[in-house]
Order: sequence, then structure tokens, then C-alpha cells
Amino acid sequence: MRLFEFEAKKLFAEKKIPITEGILAASPEDVTAAVRELGGTAVLKVQILSGGRGKAGGIKKAESPDEAFTLAEELFAGTVKGYPVERVLVDPLLDIKKEYYLGVTIDRANYKLVFIASPSGGVDIEEIARISPEKIFKESFDIDEKIFGFQAYAIGKKLGFTGDLLKSAVPIIRGLYNVFKSYDCKLAEINPLIETTDGKLWAADARISVDDDALFRHPELAEMGIEKRHEEGEMTEREQQAREWGIPYLDLDGNIGMFPGGAGFGIMGNDFIEYYGGKPANFMDSGGGPSPERLAKMLILLDENPDVKAIFGARFGGISRCDDFAKGVIQFLREHGLSKPMVCRMTGNVWQEGVRLFEEAKKEDPEIFEKIEIHGIETPIEEISKRAVELAKEAE
Amino acid sequence: MAILVDKESKVLVQGITGSAGKFHTKRMLEYGTQIVGGTSPGKGGQEIEGLPVFDTVDECIDNTEADTLVIFLPAPFVKEAAIEAIYAGIKFVVVIPEHIPIFDMMEIRQEAKKYGATVLGGNTAGIITPGEVNLGIMPDIAFSPGRVGTVSRSGSLTYYVADTLTRSEYGETTCVGLGGDPVLGSTFDEILMMFEKDKQTKAVVMVGEIGGVYEERATSVIKKMKTPVIV
Repeated sequence: MRLFEFEAKKLFAEKKIPITEGILAASPEDVTAAVRELGGTAVLKVQILSGGRGKAGGIKKAESPDEAFTLAEELFAGTVKGYPVERVLVDPLLDIKKEYYLGVTIDRANYKLVFIASPSGGVDIEEIARISPEKIFKESFDIDEKIFGFQAYAIGKKLGFTGDLLKSAVPIIRGLYNVFKSYDCKLAEINPLIETTDGKLWAADARISVDDDALFRHPELAEMGIEKRHEEGEMTEREQQAREWGIPYLDLDGNIGMFPGGAGFGIMGNDFIEYYGGKPANFMDSGGGPSPERLAKMLILLDENPDVKAIFGARFGGISRCDDFAKGVIQFLREHGLSKPMVCRMTGNVWQEGVRLFEEAKKEDPEIFEKIEIHGIETPIEEISKRAVELAKEAE
Repeated sequence: MAILVDKESKVLVQGITGSAGKFHTKRMLEYGTQIVGGTSPGKGGQEIEGLPVFDTVDECIDNTEADTLVIFLPAPFVKEAAIEAIYAGIKFVVVIPEHIPIFDMMEIRQEAKKYGATVLGGNTAGIITPGEVNLGIMPDIAFSPGRVGTVSRSGSLTYYVADTLTRSEYGETTCVGLGGDPVLGSTFDEILMMFEKDKQTKAVVMVGEIGGVYEERATSVIKKMKTPVIV
């Protein structure tokens, strides 16, 4: 989960990292007032959940309150990197002498935390890596390691700091590492760390991404107003709906609704459909052991999509048992009905029972289940895929 | 022969009293897996499926000589559970639940390395040595004893590959699910090396997935291996 700059700066302040005291504004009028308060000049920074704001026109320098108003009007009216602008952070202008980069992230391949530092800050780290890889310094830590003062000094020295500047860099370096550790971060970044002409250091920007799976042990984030959120930019209405329901879902441009099991099998199902000349209308992941409610929601997403002409179902019962799956789907069909034909295969845990339940339901309510074709392990997945492609062609 | 688990493995189920734990314990037993007991703190002394339930892993090992462990617990409890098992001397831990915090899995991995243990998962469907052991949530119908090892991050793709190998009568030695979480207890290269040492495994099918770096890291190992690897 990514944090806004103003939220990330709250966490920095907790760990005594010097941040500029900006003012958060939600309208051009608020922006103008904030610029006056800061003495007539300021930097306006749109608050979006994405880096690279500067390049995308999301950071503006205002030399006067009037100019700030005009700039703010433009910012609030438009989008930056596809995000609507709801808030602008008004930050004091700094007399910049030099910009540095500091970041902590996870090296998944080596199971380490890695501190990354560079004296060439101000552009993103990928850019620094491309133009001057020799100016990137890395220091790895084990997951249970603290950062000692001497280690922070070593990193500070690599950045070229000496004397008082080096002394003031050390708590920032340790602070950033501690933010990373304290809040289960995937990324914590100060870019740029600004050295001003009067010899001070400031975290001028703040980027933090927190591990969603660890949010349960950070109630303090919610107390600070940092709520769980999604990170994606533009989503279709259906994708938004799916997101609210907690279902990983993507719209694609075909006409076969994909009603799969897990993500891996789901992707393969999509491949099969393409292989047999069809086009999937979506990608979806049921998650492990979907409840009847969840199965119903998955089917509603497909049934209410006018582009979907036929539905391909494939369940390999692992943690999700086929009888539970069958019960959930049957309940949905009885209560809601399905306006599209569906071909569905069940194998895995208790698949025979799943098939039996469907056959029984079909006998009881032949009209409801008329367009539902159920198969067990004896029908290979290739046949199911071909059949789904056929059904979609017939319906077009 | 097989890797990591065989019919001699004495399995302990953590979270045996939960609904998933109970259900899959029964299934694993039916497959012939040698499950010797379970743990559930505060519920020591009970019985599940005729198996003794203990409060701690230590007690379970003292009474049953368990050497292998499978976890059916909610994600927030996995770190404690896995590290308890590793400290108690368990050499192989399978983490079924998903959404384990990244820091937790890194700590589990670190302790496992220190104590010479292997961890699979989180978010794995488990591991199966056909005809001997089914550890986790994989349905057994796709599998049959044979000559090919499989390793994959996705449970459903493991079933699919095994199903194909079974139908074409190659059969499988051991099928390993690494798990779908972003940071995993074991990596492709490590499992491939185990297959390389296993005499019965004549070939390995590895199924990669989008995201992550573990597939790339496997390439240097594959180059060195004598056993052919189909990726």
C-alpha cells in the first residue's frame, strides 16, 4: 500500500527525520492562503499515489500568491499521471545546494533489507542506475539487524558528507531505516534529500509503501488517518466493483467470461481460450476456498457484463472443495439465474460430489440449469476450452 | 526415492483443531500420510481423527518423533508457529496460509537457514510424493508414482502438470508447490538441486510465473544440472 507524501512525512517526523513543514490544501483558495502563510513563495506538489510527479507536471514553483492561485486552478482541474488531483501540499521553497537519494527496500532474491544511497538525487533511482551506476551505494542488512551509528556514518561518508553535515545525516539515515522496520515497509525513500545553502538537510519528498499483509499489526496507521487503499490508477467500473468485493479482477477485450479457480490456473485458462481461437473477457482469481457469497459475486461480474457471451468455469479443488463450490454456484443459479451459457469442469477434492450435486439440481430445476454444462475429470480441460469458444461463437 | 518427504516422514499438523486443519488432516491421512499428531495451544490432550493434540511442538516431538510439519493457521500466527517448530528441531515446514507479512517470512527463512530446516510457502498448496505422502491441500487424483519431479509456484498449475504426467504415464517422484506469496521459504534453484541429487527423478518440470526474481535465479542452476529441466 502506497502512502501519500504528506502521510509518509508524518511517519518520518515520528522518527525525527527533518521534514519541511508544508501545508495541505484542497482548493486553489486554500493553496493561495498557504502560500501567503509561507511568505509569498512555495512549491506546490500534487498528492497522488505515484512517483515521477515532477516530470508529469505535478510539481510547480509559485513566486507569488497570485501565481499560486493560477497554478493551483490548473492542477486541480487536470490529472497527473492519470490521477485526479484532490490535494496539493504547499511546501516552503528551499535554497538548494545539492540533492541526494536515500532509500530502503527488500532484496527478495537474497532475503535482505538493503539501504541504497546516492549523491545524485532528485531523479528516480532507476534513472540514477542508468546514467551513473557508480554513484549508487548499497548496504545489506539481515531482517533482525538494527542499524548502528557507525554504519550510518559509513553510508553518510559514501555520500560525501563531512563535518557537521555528516553528523546531521546520521540520524536521518538511521531514522529512515527505523521507519522501514517499524511499519513493515516494502519501500521507504527520501528523494531528494536536500542540502540547503545554509548547511542543513531536509527530506523534501517522502515515498513509503507498506506491506498490506502486515497492516493488521499497525493500527497506529489508521489512527493517523492512513487508511487501507488500492494503488491502481484508472480502473473500469467492473474492476472497481471487484476491488470493493475483494476479488482480483481485470477486464479484457474478449467475449468469454472466465470463472476460474486460482490465479495460476486462471492465467492458463485464458491461454487455452486464446489457443482455441477465443478471446477471454476478463481475468479473475477466486482465492482459496471461496464462500458462496464470493462465488455469487464472481458470477454477477460476468453475468452483468454485456460483452460476455459464454462462461468458462474450471475448478481444481484444493483448499476449495468441489462440493462447496457446487453448492455455492447452484445457490446462485437458483436465486439469481444466469443469462449466459456456461461450461464448467470440476476436478480435485470431492469432485464427484460436486458433479452429483449439479446433476441432482438439474433434475429438480431443468429450466434453470438448461444452459449449464457440467463436466468432471473425464473431460480434459482442452475440451472445455473448445466448448466455451463454440458457445461464445453461437451466441454472437 | 523422493525429495523432502516420503512414507517415513512423521508429520505434525499445526492448527489441527481449526476447520481447514481438521478437514485436510483427514484427507492427508486417507492418502496414507503418516500424521502423528497436531498442536493447538490450550487444547492439549484432545484428539482429532484419532490423533493426539499437544500444546507445543516440543511435546509433540517428545511423544511422536515428528520431523515434518504442516501449518494451517491464520497468517498473523505463522511466524511464531514456524519458528517454534524450527527451534524444536523440525527439519521441514510447509506453510499453507497466504498473506504472510514479508518481514515474517524473511525471519522464518533466516531461522530455517540457521537450523538447517527447509520451509515451503507461504500460500503453497503443499507437496506430494505420489503413493506415499500428501502434505497440504492438493487433491490426490491428479498424481501417480513415477519418474518426473515438478516445481511450481501455483497449486492449480501443479495439479495440471501432474495430471498431464499421470495421463501420459510418466508419473511423478515429488511435486513441490513453492507458494504464491511475494517472499517464499524456498526458491526454484534450491528445489531443483534437490531433484538433481534424487536418483529416481529423471526429469523436472518447472512452471514459472509472472513477477519476482526466483525464476531468473534458477537459470544458473539449470545450466549445471545433469537432469533435464523443462521450463
